[in-house]
Amino acid sequence: MNALLTSAVAGLTAGGTYALLGVCAVFTYRLVAVVNFTGAAIGTAGTFVLIALYEAGFPIWPSVVAGIAAGTMVGVAIGTIMTRWFGEASASTKAAVTVALLVGIIAIGLRLTGGQHPHNMPELFPGSAFRMAGVEVTIASVLTIGLAALFTVLADLFLNTTKVGLNLRALADRPMAAELLGIRVQLLSLLVWGMTGAFTTFALMIIAPQRSPNFMTLSLLVVPALAAALVGLFRSFWRTLAGGIVLGLVEGMASSVDSISQYRSAIPFLVVLAVLLWSQREARWDEAR
Amino acid sequence: MKRASLKASLVVVIAAIVLGGVIAGLLPSYWVFLATSVLITGVALQSLGLVAGRTGMIALCQMSFAGVGAWTVGYLNLAEAPGGLAVWILIGGLAAVPLGVAIGLPALRLRGINLAIVTLSFATAFDTILATMTYPGQTDFLQVPRPELFDGDEGYFVFVLLFYVAIAMALEFLSRSRLGASWLAVRHSERAAAAHGVSIATAKLSAFAISAFIAGISGGLLAGYLGTLVSENFSMMQSLSLYAVAVMTGAHFAEGAIIGGLLVVMFPEILRRLDLPQDIGNVLFAIGATQALSTGETMSETFRRQLRRLVPARIKAAASAPASDLPAPVSRAAGPALSVEKLTVRYGSVVALDGVNLTVTAGTVAGLIGPNGAGKSTFIDAVAGFLSSYEGSIKLGGKPLEGMPAHLRAREGVRRTWQTNRIAPELTVGGYLALAAKGLSASETRAILGWLDCPDPNTLVVSVDAGTRRLLDVAGVVAARPAVLLLDEPAAGQSHEETLRLGQRIAEIPKLFGSAVLLVEHDMDLVRAVCSEVTVLDFGRVIASGPPAKVLDLGPVKKAYLGIEEESVAA
Amino acid sequence: MSKLVVSNLSINRAELPVVSSLDISVESGAISVVLGANGAGKTTLLEGLSGIIPVAGGSIAIDGRDIHKARPGVRSREGLAHVEQGRTVFRQLTTEENLKVSLHSGADLAEAYALFPELVQRRTVRASLLSGGEQQMLVIARALLTRPKVLLIDEMSAGLAPVIVTRLMSAVRKLADNGLAVLLVEQFAALALSIGNRAYVMRRGRVVHDGDCMKLLKSPDELHRLYLGG
Repeated sequence: MNALLTSAVAGLTAGGTYALLGVCAVFTYRLVAVVNFTGAAIGTAGTFVLIALYEAGFPIWPSVVAGIAAGTMVGVAIGTIMTRWFGEASASTKAAVTVALLVGIIAIGLRLTGGQHPHNMPELFPGSAFRMAGVEVTIASVLTIGLAALFTVLADLFLNTTKVGLNLRALADRPMAAELLGIRVQLLSLLVWGMTGAFTTFALMIIAPQRSPNFMTLSLLVVPALAAALVGLFRSFWRTLAGGIVLGLVEGMASSVDSISQYRSAIPFLVVLAVLLWSQREARWDEAR
Repeated sequence: MKRASLKASLVVVIAAIVLGGVIAGLLPSYWVFLATSVLITGVALQSLGLVAGRTGMIALCQMSFAGVGAWTVGYLNLAEAPGGLAVWILIGGLAAVPLGVAIGLPALRLRGINLAIVTLSFATAFDTILATMTYPGQTDFLQVPRPELFDGDEGYFVFVLLFYVAIAMALEFLSRSRLGASWLAVRHSERAAAAHGVSIATAKLSAFAISAFIAGISGGLLAGYLGTLVSENFSMMQSLSLYAVAVMTGAHFAEGAIIGGLLVVMFPEILRRLDLPQDIGNVLFAIGATQALSTGETMSETFRRQLRRLVPARIKAAASAPASDLPAPVSRAAGPALSVEKLTVRYGSVVALDGVNLTVTAGTVAGLIGPNGAGKSTFIDAVAGFLSSYEGSIKLGGKPLEGMPAHLRAREGVRRTWQTNRIAPELTVGGYLALAAKGLSASETRAILGWLDCPDPNTLVVSVDAGTRRLLDVAGVVAARPAVLLLDEPAAGQSHEETLRLGQRIAEIPKLFGSAVLLVEHDMDLVRAVCSEVTVLDFGRVIASGPPAKVLDLGPVKKAYLGIEEESVAA
Repeated sequence: MSKLVVSNLSINRAELPVVSSLDISVESGAISVVLGANGAGKTTLLEGLSGIIPVAGGSIAIDGRDIHKARPGVRSREGLAHVEQGRTVFRQLTTEENLKVSLHSGADLAEAYALFPELVQRRTVRASLLSGGEQQMLVIARALLTRPKVLLIDEMSAGLAPVIVTRLMSAVRKLADNGLAVLLVEQFAALALSIGNRAYVMRRGRVVHDGDCMKLLKSPDELHRLYLGG
């Protein structure tokens, strides 16, 4: 029992990351209507800027800031492509574009970072936060979950109390009506892309030391992130948050059971399958067609 | 239809013989070896073209299906199963089918994006599963043997070429069949497809199943090509980049699959010879795919468009055939063809239709009119089965339609047209009619098209102007000769002369085809000209019904349309 | 000079001409009414004017500045406001939030509430829960807060009870009296004509009648013929 708990808690950091990435995916979908397959890749790009600077001997915290700035810029760059050329495209075309972009980003990323070559990724927040039922809970796991919750709260506050947030909600509700009122639609969309870029970058910086920090593995964290977002049906931030954490816990537990541990990355697939089968009981038509 | 398929297949076969002969006969072994790889990738791309290109869904685990095929071949080899490689490859393809169907199931409804998520997560899961299993026979250095006849590099090239050509021909025939047309229709508009009696589930699942089968075959071919395999051959990244290539080149065209195969195989080769990093290829595929998505045109479509410009097209005449070639009318019992009683539809707190009664008598044209927002389109949606719920009863010739989904109502005899154009532009005019009406003969097709001034059956819908497409929409439902036709503003966007002519045609429908017609229309001249009965809706209620000449002069009707009270008209 | 001058305008929809070589104009302080049966091209006209769909040819000028190529947002900042058909409130936002979205510097929420006092007690209600009439008031008020020079209104009366339509019409008349140029597209002819100045009737994408509103109102037979044919 204790072993299971230990490994479940070990899955918390991953869960927090999935949750944060998932919440960002929901944020992007709700506000600019894109199911973004490049979400984790954007953060990965920023993370590798941090690694490069750190390996070149720069002090760590300025490197972190530079990395987050880089991630934000990559997010804005992808956002520019999406708003400029695919603003009026269908949801499924937009998703296809992000898939294509993912292929390109991973290829560039692998080239620039030397493929599977191992990197020295500094652990930003080493050590244990507290002990719970005799199990060490790391600072990293507390931080990722905290960050995910913070993002959820901040997103709520931002959307509900600021003028920019209000405009964003209007934009998400009826893009054309918003544009007709003179709202700067493209600028606002880029803001969304930049914000999610910054947050995913920070999340990936925290989790990177625990994974093999290679560009592809980190970029593909988008899979559990989208699974979490599906748990929230791409609508609810809090359910996505919960979905991500549970996903991490289950993965952690699975890794302690020898017979299934090597198959644990199949868990997001099972979750996606279950959620989809459950959620489509009623709907009948592909909307608007 | 058949003839066009045969012609296209013949082109593929001749091209294959010529190119195959040149490659196998003249090129050095190494290039033949590479060419084989191009063809195998081409097979995988064809499988992807079916799902991504024809049904328009995002499928990101095609190489996982290929992996299933390859591993199956490996097991059959290890088990010394009878039949040899060709049979094993087919079994490998079949092994991938249940998986394709199972993964397609959760994506049947809702947004197509779900399939992207489910396939990507499957590819991840499959990656780890495959990584834990060595290729069957690998530890004993057991290679997958090639058939004796096709053993050398040249021989195996021919072996793969045979598979490629067979698949290309099968897909060519499929794409011109009613099933193939239904894929395109579903991609373009699920509702419109269902309105022709197409089952969306069958269309999508069949596409997934056939696609998985072909992908499985490509894996089997790869097993024979390399002898033994590693999991990296089928990694998720391979699936992703294959998807980008398919989007870029248009893998649902035979040439698109080959161009894609060439790019995938030759690009790294060229880059290698130039001492450049080979992974640049994926960057270019990503750019190419983004470009194709933004212009909405794949490489193959660009080539075809330019080819059409080079080769002066023969002017396609309007379809013509004697009226005697029109299909015989279906004789039906007299009395009410469609009877709607107390139909009430609510959207939340809004009542869109409120206790509407309406009967369309067999052998007549009835009209349904009313100002904007009166509920006319909602009425059609309810009758044709596109609303999730309504109250009241809808009977077709006495048979209640409640509980029947749209495609079954269509098969039962309720057909409708749409206000907006929903015909898949990739279809030919004849292909569209074949989709709308099963078992129509070539001369009947021509006769119906000629009757409505539509173009020749071989014309592509994309080259038909929007006004004529609306006529084509009418031609489709007429060809099906259903019990009841619901025409939703067929004259919108037509000139005055065209409207007059269309009016004559609509008036002839009951006699020529045996179908009763309910015409929703704003052109009052048209309504007066063709309808024997007219029902007026306002705020979801019937405010008048009867012969048009009488109804249109009633006070409440004028008021509904003009906001003029009877008194002010009198004054 | 007229506030809004549209000359020789053509708009296609799916390659099909829906509006062809059309000329209309609206003066400050006046209401131009565009009437016509469904499918005449009235909505397409307004969508072309505000930039929702591109125009194929011709010009659209506000105060003499041509805007026919600008994005919708730019046209809005140039002084054009479009109240779309179908009461396009931001459904998830409250009444007051809907108004705040469009609140430009110099404008005041009080103006909106002064025009439609009915909205005051509904300010914290989600817009999707408002009645049809309230939603229509909200979108008109919302457009007003962008401080427009020209207001385009599409099918304001669709699906609303006559008493509410009368209420809306008088509000629109008030706006015009305060100096706004209004282009009112309607199917519900009588009331629109009773508040309007200049009347256009469209049929198949062209203006088939251009004259005084009162005159047309007094000849119902002419109107009947233009609408219902026969």
